Amino acid sequence: MTAGPAGGAVRCVDLARALVALADTLVADFDVVELLTLLTDRSVQVLGVDAAGLLLLAPEGDLRVMASSNDTVRMLELIELQAQAGPCLDAYRGATPIVNQRLATAQGRWPRFAPEARRAGFAAVHAVPMRLRGTVLGALSLFSADESARPLADADVDAAQALADVATIAVLQHRAVFEARVLNEQLNNALNTRVVLEQAKGMIAQRASLDMEQAFVALRGYARDHNLRLADVARSVISGALPASRLAVPRGAQRA
Amino acid sequence: MAGDRRSRILALLGSDGDSDGPALSTDRLCAVCAEVVNVEGAGIMLMAGDVQRGSICTTGPVSARIEELQYALGEGPCVDAYEESRPVREPDLVHPVVLRWPAFSEAALELGVGAVFAFPLQFGAARLGALDLYNPTPGDLSVDQHADALVMATIAAEAVLVLQAGARPGRVALALEAQAEFHDVEHQAAGMVAAQLECSVAHAMIRDAADERDGGGP
Repeated sequence: MTAGPAGGAVRCVDLARALVALADTLVADFDVVELLTLLTDRSVQVLGVDAAGLLLLAPEGDLRVMASSNDTVRMLELIELQAQAGPCLDAYRGATPIVNQRLATAQGRWPRFAPEARRAGFAAVHAVPMRLRGTVLGALSLFSADESARPLADADVDAAQALADVATIAVLQHRAVFEARVLNEQLNNALNTRVVLEQAKGMIAQRASLDMEQAFVALRGYARDHNLRLADVARSVISGALPASRLAVPRGAQRA
Repeated sequence: MAGDRRSRILALLGSDGDSDGPALSTDRLCAVCAEVVNVEGAGIMLMAGDVQRGSICTTGPVSARIEELQYALGEGPCVDAYEESRPVREPDLVHPVVLRWPAFSEAALELGVGAVFAFPLQFGAARLGALDLYNPTPGDLSVDQHADALVMATIAAEAVLVLQAGARPGRVALALEAQAEFHDVEHQAAGMVAAQLECSVAHAMIRDAADERDGGGP
């Protein structure tokens, strides 16, 4: 592999291609797992490491293994989560990269993770946080198998961070869009329900000689008494399935 | 730069943009829309179930009437902008290249409106409605005005969602109600007419719409 400008293993053209590939997945309704799997695969190619894994903060608030370049790394990340100690967690908690950690000397730091990773055939590990401004969403870990592998240079770490940053923005955007969709559905529903409610109030007011406020009280009273949703009762009134005469008229409300 | 436009607009709305969303009410929203794009007036129409449900703010009687007309007639720039998810421009209502909205255009001209523009209110896949802009004299928006309107419509969409976020289940947020015209009285009237005539509410609403077309308000 040709050495990059700052002595790293990364070739600019490879990094650019990987960033473009990540951006290319950002169509409407893209799949987050697919994006993060692409991130781990491309990180391995671009950075010249042997495997990659990714922990992501779920909306429920706990970290989960969201992607890995192979099943061995997936198992290692699960072990890291179980033990609550490892490179991803350190990068996540400190919001800063963990670089060139030799597993042979890391047993004190990660008592369960380090020996398991060595048994799996890895010699060194690195991790970069997935962060945007004040938010840390998770971390990407990178594994090297070769004991004599050249350590990651600053330029390599920058490249890893750039890849993780693009994925972080994508994940945050995806969540914002999802929340917007849920809110919009609620608003749509509220606006539609409102029309039905007002129409039903008009029908009840006309049939039972009530004013609009009293008609609403009658509607709400029926819904409560029969444990029904207000909108459903209103729809029954409009369709004629529920005659206005069956709604209890509020006491003293009948107009002369 | 879209970023510069965005921070300038947020500043006008009295928000630093760093909080969870623009801290605002609908009181100033339409006024800021008109100010940012530099047009005479603005109105924001919400849609649900592909139908206009009413405006959440307008800058004055003319923009209020523009919203009412589109609500009652079911045609106009905001309807097209929402349905087609793209900006709609009619820079000259007097001499349109294609007469897209016969009933709306005639009524708008009587109001003294010369040009109308509408931008969809959307955030990701969520479509909320449209931002209507008008000028008394014919003339197209400049490239800059167009760009400002696009950013403004996105911020307005975010603002609507942020304001709705605190609402009780099944209800429109009170903050969105403050300046809104959701045509409650017309729906009540449709219900009353239906009860009187023993016809369906849909039938009663068609009568209302016909009355509106025959000139004058409901």
